[in-house]
Amino acid sequence: MSDKVQLRIVDRMRIIRQSRFGSFVPVLLALAVIWGYFGLAMPLWQYWTSPDADSVNFIFLSSRNIYNLFMQSSVTATLAVGITVVLLLGDIDLSAAATAGVCAALLGVLALVGVPGWIACLIVLGVGAMMGVAQGVLIAYIGIPSFVVTLAGLLGFQGLMQKILPTGNLNVDNDFIRGFARILLPDTLGVMLAVALVAVMAFAVMRRQALRRARGLEGDSAFVAWGQLVFVAILVFSTVFVLNSYRSVPLMVVLLVGVTALTGWVTTSTPFGRSIFAVGGNSESARRVGMNVKRIRVAAFGIVGLLAALGGIFGASRYGSVSYTAFAGGSLLLESIGAAVIGGTSLFGGRGSVWNAILGALVIGSLGNGLDLSGASAADKLMFSGAILLLAVAIDAISRPPGLSGK
Amino acid sequence: MTVETHSTELPAAPSPHLRVSGIQKHFGGVHALQNIDFEVARGEVMALVGDNGAGKSTLMKVLAGAHIPDEGRFWLDGDEISIDGPQTAAQKGIQIVYQDLALCENLDVAANLSLGHEPTKAGWRFLPRFLRPIDELEMEIRAQQAIDQLEVRTLRSVRALVGGLSGGQRQAIAIARAVGAKSSVVMLDEPTAALGVAQTRQVLNVVRRLRETNHAVIYISHNMRDIFEVADRICVLRHGQNVATWRTAETTTDEIVVAMTRGLDQGGKHVR
Repeated sequence: MSDKVQLRIVDRMRIIRQSRFGSFVPVLLALAVIWGYFGLAMPLWQYWTSPDADSVNFIFLSSRNIYNLFMQSSVTATLAVGITVVLLLGDIDLSAAATAGVCAALLGVLALVGVPGWIACLIVLGVGAMMGVAQGVLIAYIGIPSFVVTLAGLLGFQGLMQKILPTGNLNVDNDFIRGFARILLPDTLGVMLAVALVAVMAFAVMRRQALRRARGLEGDSAFVAWGQLVFVAILVFSTVFVLNSYRSVPLMVVLLVGVTALTGWVTTSTPFGRSIFAVGGNSESARRVGMNVKRIRVAAFGIVGLLAALGGIFGASRYGSVSYTAFAGGSLLLESIGAAVIGGTSLFGGRGSVWNAILGALVIGSLGNGLDLSGASAADKLMFSGAILLLAVAIDAISRPPGLSGK
Repeated sequence: MTVETHSTELPAAPSPHLRVSGIQKHFGGVHALQNIDFEVARGEVMALVGDNGAGKSTLMKVLAGAHIPDEGRFWLDGDEISIDGPQTAAQKGIQIVYQDLALCENLDVAANLSLGHEPTKAGWRFLPRFLRPIDELEMEIRAQQAIDQLEVRTLRSVRALVGGLSGGQRQAIAIARAVGAKSSVVMLDEPTAALGVAQTRQVLNVVRRLRETNHAVIYISHNMRDIFEVADRICVLRHGQNVATWRTAETTTDEIVVAMTRGLDQGGKHVR
């Protein structure tokens, strides 16, 4: 492959776009723009325009703020990962935040009556999965559109949450539950985890290249393979070091990454995940090759229910309380769907990645955080969120590889 | 007119691989297939032609197990078989490529070819099959073999997304998927209907290649030029009945068109 040298930048961009990591590009661009604006442009502008400022105040890019950003985005990201799975099918889940709310409320009540934290968490995860499966059965076997079923779920579960929490608020002080957000990994352990992660990835890349060569298949372009690795390594190490420089890597972030890795692996590397993409791409095709489309849809809704329950647990852990407005009644649902879509997951199914949902959640979180720091009103926040959603989807549509138009 | 020299008997041919006889199918009051006999041999392209509503699609769906006939017998290599659904037909090696192809455009060629039966890596037996990691390399090798077997030369890589392929390439991929599933009978429904000249040529090459690889090919089309280019025999249906079967070399387009539109015995005398 000596002609690789002559590839132009555009071709390289194309190659990257078509690789598995390629869909990261637009959402990362959006993230970079937002961080650049709030982190660099705004403080410098303030410094130059106001004569009484004595130094530049990089508050947005401070490690403390970035730590908070990660924690704030974790709940949204957990839900967004689940929603991505049903979006891949071409369905939608409007009830995810309400499910998370019901699960969080149930968790609070269980902890209050003295159920051990870990049992309460397991019960709540089961309940969340059941709520998802129940909706999935209505969608797949009765044939009601997912929009309608989950809209009904959204309303019904909001009511259910109010029934469980008549006062609308409940403090959670169970140590196990609070632990997800409170426990911090020791600095060295965080770095070691990062090193191990990158080493495993490097090994996987080398093994894959060697196997491809041994079996006489066309090799991945080395530029793409190692480029991806370097890219992930930079992302992982910079995250760990920034978090370490404030406190340390919180357990919740590690769990979120772990759950996303598992979901990502299932969706991209197993026959089940392939069937999700197949149903999303062309459900008739999936049916003809003998896939049980109905069961796949039910399973996907079970997964989103499970992840919503996990989001509920994370939320209860982080806020130390369960409140109606933080889950079912607030902006969590739209932020999660927005995060998945900003991450480049198609609403028509068949295209997307759960990893992008995390980055999408960071985009939404950064926007809210940055606007808060610059003293913007709630009205400004909403309008900016809408604009950034449109912008991210537009970037994605423009830079999409040929042949996937309309998806 | 030379029509009388042809009997409604099937001309002698290599012993049939798939043979059906006395197929009857009613849809409510409509007698869609009336006592149909049909056969196809290995290494042969059998064209199935007829006007709209002649029963081509119904017969094809009966063969594929998508419709269950009211009456009729099936033989595969001389052994009588019964087909009670698409799964049974697929198990017996009878595959159908519908006109809409039903490919997943969001997946690559290799993934489409092994959709529903992805090879999984060894050593993950403790997981249920649907959660074992897919052996992507094995999948690509199988896909490459299937593509090479059909000699689809224009396809750059089995890792290309199907959404970016041309119509002819997609048709070839759909055929490769049907062939890859250990099939012996491949039915093609109007494979060139929406294609341009170059694409049609590509698909016809794939059909010829299927004959060379000793498949029994049933080719449904309206396009006489394609049929005369690729078929060995032509079976004409009219109003749900057999008209006759010709060897392609011994007939003409006009004769087939007359048979399709007016039938045989009437010989033009009882034109309705």
